[in-house]
Amino acid sequence: MQHFKSIAPDSASRRAFLKRGTALSLAASATPWALSLAAMGEAAAATADDYKALVCVFLYGGNDYANTLVPYDQMNYDLYKGFRSNIALDRTSLAATVLSPSVALPNGRQYALAPGLAPLIPIFDAGRMSVILNVGTLVQPTTKAQYTGQSVPLPPKLFSHNDQQSFWQASSSEGASSGWGGRMGDLYAAGNGNATFTCVNVSGNAVYLTGNSAVQYQVTPAGSVPVSGIKSSLFGSAACSTALKNLVIAPSTQLFESEYARVAKRSIDANDILTAALATTSLATSFPDNELATQLTLVARMISARQALGAKRQVFMVSLGGFDTHSALTATHPVLMSKLGSSLAAFHQAMIDLGVSDSVTTFTGTDFGRTLLSNNDGSDHGWGSMQFVLGGAVKGQSFVGTPPAVANNGVDDVGQGRLLPTTSVDQLGSTLANWFGVSATDQAMVLPNLDHYSIKNLGFMA
Amino acid sequence: MSICASLSSRPGLDAEIQAETPRARVSTSTESPPRTDPPPVGAWAAIGGTSAVLAACGGAAAGSDGVNLAQGLKFQTAKLAPALTFTPARQRDATKLQVSTAPTTLTAEVFMTFVEGALSTQFPGPQTSVTAITDGIHYVYRYYPLGNGAYNFLAVTSDNKVYALGALTGDVLTQYGVLSDYFCTVYPQSCPATSVGPANATEAARFLTQATLGANKSDITALQSSSYAGWIDAQFVIPQAQSHFDWLKAKGFSDPSFSNSYAGLDNSIWRKLIGGNDPLRQKVTLALSEILVASAEGIAIRWRAFAVANYLDLLESNAFGNFRTLLEKVSLSPAMGVYLTYSGNVKANAVTGSQPDENYGRELMQLFTVGLQLLNPDGSLQLKNGAPEETYTQADVSGMARVWTGWALDTSGYVGPYGIDTVARPLVQVASRYETGSKTFLGVTIPAGTSAAQSLQIALDTVFNHPNTGPFICKQLIQRMVTSNPSSAYVSRIAAVFANNASGVRGDLKAVVKALLLDTEARNMANVSSSSFGKLREPIARFVNWARAYKATSASDAWSVGDLSDPASRLGQSPMRSTSVFNFFRPGYVPPGSELSRQSFQAPEFQITSESSIAGYMNFMQKVISGASLSDLKPDYSSVLALTADTTALLNELNLVFASNQIPQSTLDTLKTALDTIAVTTDSGKNNRMYAAILLVMAAPAYIAQK
Repeated sequence: MQHFKSIAPDSASRRAFLKRGTALSLAASATPWALSLAAMGEAAAATADDYKALVCVFLYGGNDYANTLVPYDQMNYDLYKGFRSNIALDRTSLAATVLSPSVALPNGRQYALAPGLAPLIPIFDAGRMSVILNVGTLVQPTTKAQYTGQSVPLPPKLFSHNDQQSFWQASSSEGASSGWGGRMGDLYAAGNGNATFTCVNVSGNAVYLTGNSAVQYQVTPAGSVPVSGIKSSLFGSAACSTALKNLVIAPSTQLFESEYARVAKRSIDANDILTAALATTSLATSFPDNELATQLTLVARMISARQALGAKRQVFMVSLGGFDTHSALTATHPVLMSKLGSSLAAFHQAMIDLGVSDSVTTFTGTDFGRTLLSNNDGSDHGWGSMQFVLGGAVKGQSFVGTPPAVANNGVDDVGQGRLLPTTSVDQLGSTLANWFGVSATDQAMVLPNLDHYSIKNLGFMA
Repeated sequence: MSICASLSSRPGLDAEIQAETPRARVSTSTESPPRTDPPPVGAWAAIGGTSAVLAACGGAAAGSDGVNLAQGLKFQTAKLAPALTFTPARQRDATKLQVSTAPTTLTAEVFMTFVEGALSTQFPGPQTSVTAITDGIHYVYRYYPLGNGAYNFLAVTSDNKVYALGALTGDVLTQYGVLSDYFCTVYPQSCPATSVGPANATEAARFLTQATLGANKSDITALQSSSYAGWIDAQFVIPQAQSHFDWLKAKGFSDPSFSNSYAGLDNSIWRKLIGGNDPLRQKVTLALSEILVASAEGIAIRWRAFAVANYLDLLESNAFGNFRTLLEKVSLSPAMGVYLTYSGNVKANAVTGSQPDENYGRELMQLFTVGLQLLNPDGSLQLKNGAPEETYTQADVSGMARVWTGWALDTSGYVGPYGIDTVARPLVQVASRYETGSKTFLGVTIPAGTSAAQSLQIALDTVFNHPNTGPFICKQLIQRMVTSNPSSAYVSRIAAVFANNASGVRGDLKAVVKALLLDTEARNMANVSSSSFGKLREPIARFVNWARAYKATSASDAWSVGDLSDPASRLGQSPMRSTSVFNFFRPGYVPPGSELSRQSFQAPEFQITSESSIAGYMNFMQKVISGASLSDLKPDYSSVLALTADTTALLNELNLVFASNQIPQSTLDTLKTALDTIAVTTDSGKNNRMYAAILLVMAAPAYIAQK
């Protein structure tokens, strides 16, 4: 695919191709992967000589925003405490994690991180982390009056896990065929030495990393899995080993068989390359022992092997589950915060140790925020939430967006403290995409609702 | 009087009654001991004495032998028996009944008249029907004197249950199924598939692939001499094996050292999936566990293994029951109560501002019954101005959530740590936590002051009777068993059975399961060569296919298969261990960037099919097949080992048993060439050729995609 690198069609022609690719695919149904390769080649104009990676840390279940970023100034803390007396954090426990932004928030507003996020304080103070306030899924800027009057389109199926996960990741509810991470991957896959390693998911399967042509590569925290019967003889027979390989990757006109074989082929091909590449790496940074950290360790190892993998632009996804804290919030949420804080801090340090801190940006996402009001020992599905962006290229030590009123059915929530987002995921995505190198015209393709916002770039990236 | 006086002889069982006939008495209740002489005619007495027969016989008898007339029929304590069966000759006789054309339901009157023709020795007619009420249960019955003091009664309750009492039953009130069980017998012209069986071994194997988690060669052969409907009916009446709960207890997992552990749970689950002799029930149970999800990954309470075991037991016990009953059992189960966090749910508190937990209120609607969008009866989306309409709003969720307040584990009788029986008891109410105010959802308002128990009934009736629920659940059951993309006509036909099982009963899962397996779309062999029919076999099914194909069993009864969730080294899927209430995969999942996606086909199982899990599956099966894993779970390969000298015969056997002969000949030829390189001059050579052949067949995409 080297020769495609010199082709630099403008954005319009790329979009035209991507549409054409879809039409072609319908006609040439028997050769899906051959077509994908062609599509990636022609679509890939966004070549790059430097290296950049985005790492999405998705918090499955809907993170409880109010115990993640806690109102700390006395007035708002008291409101917070009043609305969730039986699940609120003690103010004294927050003293060590009060955030000191370079520019103070208006009206004396102050926030503290959950105590478990303490490892992030030095990163924030070093100007390498920003907090995005009340960000969530939107179709367009929406006021409370518009929400109440249902006078503007809203993300469908608000407060539903699977649909809001999907809308967060793909700008469309469950059933979406591609996500904005994958659509960025579409633009860069051909510029990478091996397109397979453009969109890498270490936590399973998510629409976020699915492109129109870019394919999400799913890998385990331990790396790729070789097929033992193919790597070596099968029950003593080399012929059977060869037969096994040919069998599982054979194209078929039967659609289920064909798709299975397509994934099998990618598995076998990618394993050879990744295993070799990872063998050349070593990682000095120590990571904590939890399920998020093990995923981020693999991401760090792959980034350290970026040259062997021929990678120029990569989008990674890792995740932590268990955030659906309807009950036992005070027991479970602090544990999750500790895992998140220690893992993000270790990964940030690993990027510094690898000398790529300026090239790697990490951000969090979640299904939705939760209610501010308690349901006695937990909180329920909400909407807007608080997110973090970390990395050497982040203009940090800052809050981005508007601090929401701490209220029940106040100006910034739609009842029970379900925040009506004042910043959209599209704006967050656009800011990241802009840093990644995605042109303004391509951003409109990556984030289809972006045109609805007059301010697209939130300004938190250098 | 004359009827009673003419009682003379008491014939034995009619040889034509094929069903297992209960002879043993069941000690059931506080009723007077069973008796045979004089007949307990009084047991048929209806309160208020509406029965002509009773007036003539029972009433008179009661006066002399002390039978308690007021006692009436104790339906609650009736013994259960399989539905009555009739020989084909009798069926033909019976169809002489004067019936309207194309009947859709079977009435009690027609049924009893049919029985008089089909089983005239036991039920000599004609007799007239009598209506009666016992303990609030309405029923009609007919009385058949047999002479010499013997008699039989036949009764049908207003909810269509069929009962008999008398010589036939050893004088124990016995339920013989429900009216719908007999519909096709009485009206064969309305059930053309009833008598259809497989034309050959391929068709038999294909049916068993849909209906079970794996069949062996003799299962396939046996089905070839039966009908599909006959096989299904036989499955319906296979008694359930020891429950998961009881097995855990029997194996000592009730020791306090296991109280915070899942030890034993996976073992018992594999025991039933692999070793069960009720494969249709196990298949449906697994399917239900993937729709009404309560995963062991989120039930961290004391006696958690027993809680999940109890949950799976109730799915299994109700797999052939009614969906409404199942919903209620699920909703009151400790496992679900904890999993979806409404056990301990507290009403709104104006002081603290706390609100009821909405978790179950939402998922009960979104995932277990009505779904997110209004559906047509064929499962397609209802469109309004071209756009789908949402089934409910957040306000409905909040309203529904109020129903699920006050519920809690029933730990009564325990001070301190509770015992294992707690996690098998239905949830109970804590009045102080229950929201007594009104509750509005889905167009229904439960008035303030309605009791928690009554509110629960109204809520479950509302979602159960919602027009979405039939197509929503039926499409998923079809997807679990037959094909990922059923036609709207197929969904429509099965949803119609859900709406009415032909006896006026909604939600009869037995009828639904039978209909979806007998449906022409499921049975049509032409679909095998369609590019889009069928489904990906889920990894659990593939593993159990292997185990059942060669009757793997655990000699120690330990079934130490374990949790197979790790995609890198095992299956990437293990029963009752989904990572969320959204199951291992979503019913509408479409693999991105695939030809399936371009042609708009759904393929749920691809959601857990990845570069890692494909490799992990092959590696795991390689170990399993050669016995290098899974403790003492051992197959009996003797029949297939005998074929290793003839690779063609070996592959033909495996292709039939695993893949319903769906692996093409050209592929088999290639595999034969490779397998022939393994010499079979030694025992290890024979084993290696056999192991390699099984692995190759189980790795073949043509096997993994079930058509």
